[in-house]
Amino acid sequence: MSPIDPRLQEALDAERDPGELPTDLREAYARLMAAAQLLQTTPRLSVATRIMTEIRLLPAPVHSDGPMRRLIRWFGRPRAVTVRLRPVWTLGLAVGLAAMLLLSSQQDSAPTPSASEGIANFIGHFPGAKSVEVVGSFNNWSRGTLHLNDDDHDGIWHAAAILPAGAHEYMFVVDGERWVPDPLAGRYVDDGFGAGQENSLVFVRPAAAQP
Amino acid sequence: MVNEDADVVARVLAGDGEAFGILIRRYEPGLLRFATRMLGNPDAAADAVAESLVRAYRHLAQCRDPSRLRSWLYRITGNRCRSHLARRHMDDIPLSEAPPPALAEASDAWEILVRSEQVALVERALAALPAEKREAFVLKHVDGMSYEEMAAVTGARIPTLKMRVHRAREALLEALEEVVR
Repeated sequence: MSPIDPRLQEALDAERDPGELPTDLREAYARLMAAAQLLQTTPRLSVATRIMTEIRLLPAPVHSDGPMRRLIRWFGRPRAVTVRLRPVWTLGLAVGLAAMLLLSSQQDSAPTPSASEGIANFIGHFPGAKSVEVVGSFNNWSRGTLHLNDDDHDGIWHAAAILPAGAHEYMFVVDGERWVPDPLAGRYVDDGFGAGQENSLVFVRPAAAQP
Repeated sequence: MVNEDADVVARVLAGDGEAFGILIRRYEPGLLRFATRMLGNPDAAADAVAESLVRAYRHLAQCRDPSRLRSWLYRITGNRCRSHLARRHMDDIPLSEAPPPALAEASDAWEILVRSEQVALVERALAALPAEKREAFVLKHVDGMSYEEMAAVTGARIPTLKMRVHRAREALLEALEEVVR
């Protein structure tokens, strides 16, 4: 078997016009194309009937999805689940569920003040403020323990805290740097630093005394 | 044709099994010709095509791109032919199994005789090629596929297929030097 001219290969691959080939290559081109044409004769037989007969006996092919889609479909498909329980177990289960509900309701509820404590509400109007917190005698004037919230962004900030019953001095700290007394406090006391500044005063009534 | 294939495949997968007949009518002649050239025996080719199309029906949902159904069907049929050749422990075709010459298109007795001789000689030359080169030549020059489609059918790389076609041409040209004029 000898290699044939690359120009002939190119012509046979339709990459070159066969009319441009030299005479001997053009003849070789014609021989190969004639051979291919002879092979293009289609056999005169058919297996269509045989195939259709066979496939009519087979289950219909269906779309098959990948494993991930099958898993997702399995999770999304409603299924009947049967649980067989003895009645006594059902009773125990009901008690257990009730205990869990009771426990969770207790956990979810807000803390309640003891008899010697009460709830103090802090409210201030600070439109445009980014943060407001309360510092006072009840938290050693430490920042970061009692923040006010303004969830609806109307400039009115609010916080509630359980404090020991009695009087407590406090100040608002606005945007982390501006200390201001509560204009709605009603009572104020000198802050003791001699600069004429006053702290706000709140009176917490014991919860036991609440109506 | 490409979009029509996808439509027919969708119909079959939706439960219309009879629509598969459309695909059989569309591709059976080409597949039979391909299998006949590969196996050199019309009966074996018919078996290979029937088995391939039944297999295609059963696994139709796994045809990832129904718009390239032709390549998929040729691939299944090519695999079936290779299995058949492997069972015979050979990939060349015994001359006794060479298909009979096709006479349908000849118009008179002399032309029939000449054409039969030509077809038989070309088929013998083709049968003498190794299976891979025979397959490459048939897909390229008998079924008129592009190298890209041939790659989809055979799973071989395009440079490999080009080399096979080139080698097949060289062998055939040498064998037919004095035959087909």
